[in-house]
Amino acid sequence: MKWQKKGLLFEPAKYDLPNGCTAFAQSPQTLVFDDFVRIYFSTRKMDAVTGKYLSFIAFADFDKNFTKVLATSVKNVIELGGLGTFDEHGIFPINILRHNNKIFAYTCGWSRRVSVSVETSTGLAISEDEGVTFKKIGTGPVLTCSLHEPMLVGDSFVQFYEGQFHMWYIFGKRWITAHAGEPPARVYKIAHATSADGVNWQKEESKQIITDYLNEDECQALPTVIKIDKRYHMYFCFREATDFRTNPARGYRLGYAWSDDLVIWKRDDANSGIAFSDKGWDSEMMCYPHIFQCDDKVYLLYNGNEFGKQGFGIAELVTG
Amino acid sequence: MGRVFNPLEIKNRSWLKEFAQAPCVLIFDDFVRVYFSCRPPADEKGQYVSYSAYVDLNRNNLFEILRLSETPVLQLGKLGTFDEFGTYPISVIRHNNEVLAYYAGWTRCESVPFNVAIGFGISKNDGQTFDKIGDGPVLSYSIDEPFILSGPKIRRFGNKWYLFYIAGKKWILDNGKPEPVYTIRMAESDDGLNWVKQNKDLITYKVEENEAQASPDVFFYQGKYHMFFCYRHSANYRGKEKGYRIGYACSDDLKNWIRDDSKAGIEVSEDGWDAEMISYPHVFELDNEMYMFYLGNQVGKHGFGLAKLENYQP
Repeated sequence: MKWQKKGLLFEPAKYDLPNGCTAFAQSPQTLVFDDFVRIYFSTRKMDAVTGKYLSFIAFADFDKNFTKVLATSVKNVIELGGLGTFDEHGIFPINILRHNNKIFAYTCGWSRRVSVSVETSTGLAISEDEGVTFKKIGTGPVLTCSLHEPMLVGDSFVQFYEGQFHMWYIFGKRWITAHAGEPPARVYKIAHATSADGVNWQKEESKQIITDYLNEDECQALPTVIKIDKRYHMYFCFREATDFRTNPARGYRLGYAWSDDLVIWKRDDANSGIAFSDKGWDSEMMCYPHIFQCDDKVYLLYNGNEFGKQGFGIAELVTG
Repeated sequence: MGRVFNPLEIKNRSWLKEFAQAPCVLIFDDFVRVYFSCRPPADEKGQYVSYSAYVDLNRNNLFEILRLSETPVLQLGKLGTFDEFGTYPISVIRHNNEVLAYYAGWTRCESVPFNVAIGFGISKNDGQTFDKIGDGPVLSYSIDEPFILSGPKIRRFGNKWYLFYIAGKKWILDNGKPEPVYTIRMAESDDGLNWVKQNKDLITYKVEENEAQASPDVFFYQGKYHMFFCYRHSANYRGKEKGYRIGYACSDDLKNWIRDDSKAGIEVSEDGWDAEMISYPHVFELDNEMYMFYLGNQVGKHGFGLAKLENYQP
């Protein structure tokens, strides 16, 4: 794979976003229309009560050459959950799938815990207005912790291949106590589930489908998959479990794997065809990749330094 | 018949200070093992953890305590898991040469005090201790059961496994304090591990729309399924007026239930340990009698007691 970077595409600070959000445009994901591309992302505002961030979904519409922003969302795209629900404290990320004239959104809902910072699960919402707003199908999740996936199910990415829905997602294996004085750190891996209807999912239960590259505490996140010719390609991001926020040697970068059967994935980071820039917005971190096709081109959206605080960028596939 | 076990009388168990909640029996040749859930003293922030343990009673005299478990029967979960702060209540069943336990695991949340999901353990020592087979829950949240999956009661009828439990519907604010509303639900399984939820409230509400229902205790008797359970108002339920009472329903198929609390046949006493509320019924047959264990005031803070069904015909 070889990608040509086209630079920072969207800077949230330059726009008036709903909910008073000013910084962060994380985990960009697309819904492609005939004459424009809608890119959803998670942005943040400070919770006045707790002083902690809440993540909200917003979007920006681009022309199909990605030369300008046509519009940004004015309404809240999807409500956060009610008291005590899995998505009460944020939705990040959101994955959009158009299938048989329906528009599904698979959300990663966040709720705060006491002994650890957070728990997550995957929710499902449906849009009846071409993706302007989404309504949840229930107050609970469609995919959550189970016997051997004890925590932190989320980052779902769904495609319809070979007659069924496929979901790639992450699950937590454990929380580890980092260095003294630091909060507990999580370890999560990429997994796969299937479904006939996109609602009821069958997990493979604790099967890590992407091998570790760093060590057994490697954190793998945000899988995104595309089929090109007969081969499936997956990008994701990965990092060390601790000291990853400000240390570029331990922070997020992009990983790559391929599969010919959707069962066995061959990890092949050396052929990802994209790496940190020498300087600038993606020189210290690359994370939250999203691959999509627009007309006859394949693009990669991703976040750079500081987990996407400045926004997201785009690259175009030049050789597959 | 009176109180059987008062946890406040127990010494030398650091993990058992007060509460003996949600009794559930496992019957042996010469004794009856009663599982219950208890708590050590609250921590400096006033928060409890909960454990499950057992007391063995003389089969011929259920008011005679033979022994108390040396340790809790289940360990609390690891950091960040669903049962890190409590394993309560527990329901056990014999299967082949093992005893299986389904229990509610508690975690602590920021905006509401807790969340609960149902875990699973196996005992190879006649129910003295149980080992978990995974760090996560065996029955977890879903689209219409967003939180608080608790109060499991495991049953086997024919070749099928049934799990009766409660699921949270919403959290309401009572003078700014979050209080959960939950209803009685059921799931079926062929193996006891993979569950298919019925996704339906089994019992209609009576005292108010936000009635909370718990402890769905089901047994088969004279050609029908019977359920005793408890219910309460959504707010101010810690006193007599709106506190827990025991309800009753029956069913021909385990799925469709007719509630008729007038047939429960048990009410709060005039005075004493069960004068304010009665809750968490568990019904069992023993030596040609039908008994019910249940909790009294303050949801079992002072232990559980026993009642006997009149005119029981085995």
